[in-house]
Amino acid sequence: MRGINSLAARLSLLFALVSMLLLGSIGTYLYHSLTREIAWRDDQMLQGRLERLEAILSNGESVDMLQHRSHLYDNMMGNRDNLLWILDNTGQALIEVNPSDLPVPNLPTTNTVRLMETAGPIQARLAWHTFEQDGRPLTLIAGKLLDERNQMLRAYRLRLWFALVIGAFLAFLLGWGVSRHGLQPLRRLVEQANSINIRQLDRRLDVTGEAQEISNLSHGLNRMLDRLEDGFSQLSRYSADMAHELRTPLTNLLGQTQHALRRERSDAEYRQVLESNIEEYERLSRMIDSMLFLARTESPSRQLICDSIDLGELVLQLCEYFEGMAEDGARALINQAHGTAVANHDLLRTALANLIANALRHGSPGTPIHISTMEIGERIKLCVHNHGPIISPDDLTKVFERFYRCDPARSGVVDSGGLGLAIVHSIAQWHDGEVQVESNAEDGTTFSLTLPRANSWRISFLFNGSDEGVRAEK
Amino acid sequence: MRILVVEDEHKTADYLCRGLGESGYSVEIARDGFDAQHLIDESEFDLVILDVMLPGLDGWQLLELIRRRSQVPVLFLTARDAVEDRVKGLELGADDYLVKPFSFVELLARVRTLLRRSPPREREHFRVADLEMDVLRRRVTRKGDRIALTNKEFALLELLLDRESEVLSRTYIASRVWQMNFDSDTNVVEVAVRRLRAKVDDPFTQKLIHTERGMGYVLEDRS
Repeated sequence: MRGINSLAARLSLLFALVSMLLLGSIGTYLYHSLTREIAWRDDQMLQGRLERLEAILSNGESVDMLQHRSHLYDNMMGNRDNLLWILDNTGQALIEVNPSDLPVPNLPTTNTVRLMETAGPIQARLAWHTFEQDGRPLTLIAGKLLDERNQMLRAYRLRLWFALVIGAFLAFLLGWGVSRHGLQPLRRLVEQANSINIRQLDRRLDVTGEAQEISNLSHGLNRMLDRLEDGFSQLSRYSADMAHELRTPLTNLLGQTQHALRRERSDAEYRQVLESNIEEYERLSRMIDSMLFLARTESPSRQLICDSIDLGELVLQLCEYFEGMAEDGARALINQAHGTAVANHDLLRTALANLIANALRHGSPGTPIHISTMEIGERIKLCVHNHGPIISPDDLTKVFERFYRCDPARSGVVDSGGLGLAIVHSIAQWHDGEVQVESNAEDGTTFSLTLPRANSWRISFLFNGSDEGVRAEK
Repeated sequence: MRILVVEDEHKTADYLCRGLGESGYSVEIARDGFDAQHLIDESEFDLVILDVMLPGLDGWQLLELIRRRSQVPVLFLTARDAVEDRVKGLELGADDYLVKPFSFVELLARVRTLLRRSPPREREHFRVADLEMDVLRRRVTRKGDRIALTNKEFALLELLLDRESEVLSRTYIASRVWQMNFDSDTNVVEVAVRRLRAKVDDPFTQKLIHTERGMGYVLEDRS
């Protein structure tokens, strides 16, 4: 069945198979009933014949007389299939009607009527009974050859087989027609699906009036198309944003270099241009790094190497790293983190560093930044909290998108180019975790990263493993 | 010190040649794997800088060939920062690698490290002009006056003193002082250097810590 690709052919074959099974079972049942019925009738007839013979003999007729009055049983026999023996106690046949010349059967004496079938080339069904007349035991045997019966049953069997094959064939043909007709909606679906391409990603499959199974399938496909359209438009937006972001440093590079070359300048001026160029190059390089990092999240191919990480220690390390920046704005980094998370060390550190950098960038001077943890069941939530201008509800849903900036004017040289939070988001997803943000006037802004706490999480697959895992430190 | 640069990109090869030449190394250039193989057979080098994407004989094959005959330090350059590439290179016997684009300062720092064959001796005492550092007693003085530094400021100053007159890139400083070997988007290093300067340089007329704009920082006596 696996070798057959057409659904219609498979269904028709299944139809044929099922019909064959059904017809076969019914045929077998009928055949056996018929066989039993015929056998029962024959047995009744043989027994009746014995009873009549016995009745004749009981009425005082002697066997010798019966021998002479053969018409009594001749017409009883009627045809060549019937057998009759009356045997004396020595096994000698006193009366014998045996057109097929069967040997005289040697049967045990019995007071009740018994039945058996003879073996041998000529099969016969025998009924016998021992009867005493005038103190002398006589064995009455009535029989019937099974030839005719067997022949009839054989013909019947043949007809049954024939009906079975014809039936299965008809079932196959009917099944074929029915399946083709039944699969019509599927073909319509294929036609519709074929008409959808990149330019018409907004098209959907029409489900009105289709069978439930088909409309379920269409709904599923439509939902898939929704997601694809979403991802695709995000991707195109991403490409456009990316090109736009690259334009800014390139404009600076082109402009200031051309400006410098317009006339002779002092060494110091040339030097300044070159130095400024380096800053732009570095910005470009950082952007490309971030983009590559994000691009790799879209083609996960490798297992993420995870350890149990002491969050208190990791945050302490990061607080030391950002200490200077924090103190510059008279801010304090307060480490309230403890517990462990299962994560890739370098990726988690990058994510946390981005969150802390973000808090430092947007937090008001003179207010502390808290980094705390909260255990929720099997997971641990890392929160980075800062006071400062709140993020509007509209922006809250978009802050993790690439190149998204709450304030379009704010894009300094020392900036991730709007990718920092997108990277946090990707890292959270790799770890089967999530990242959230809350922002309101009373509580300030909190970014939280939820990760598995212990080893009871499913393995995520990741692109090229950890980024800094194998850096050669000399 | 002779360095062999195996690089097929002309611009890259040229600037590596000039840059390393100006830093006092004598540089040979090979444009493809076969050239490189020939040059290695002909003469001795102290270091090989190898681009792994080469026409003809590729970088990996060349690396294997080099390793079969000598233990010359090999620094390989790759445009793909896939972990497989790095692992492969290091497994084949390369000593270090850099991912393109890299800064020249970074390259120079790695080259110096590789050529400094014996591991650097831990120094206990530094002196540049009137600045002194006693590592064991964690004491820093300038003109005899004690300067109080935080742990990280001390580590930063120790690094700058240890690599006196060498321009150190921000990335390198971040990796050595904070063990943060990722390229941060923040100006953490700038801020740290500024704060260190406020204590070490600002009160004095002679400045010791200098910014090489676009490259990094250097500590030296320029008087």
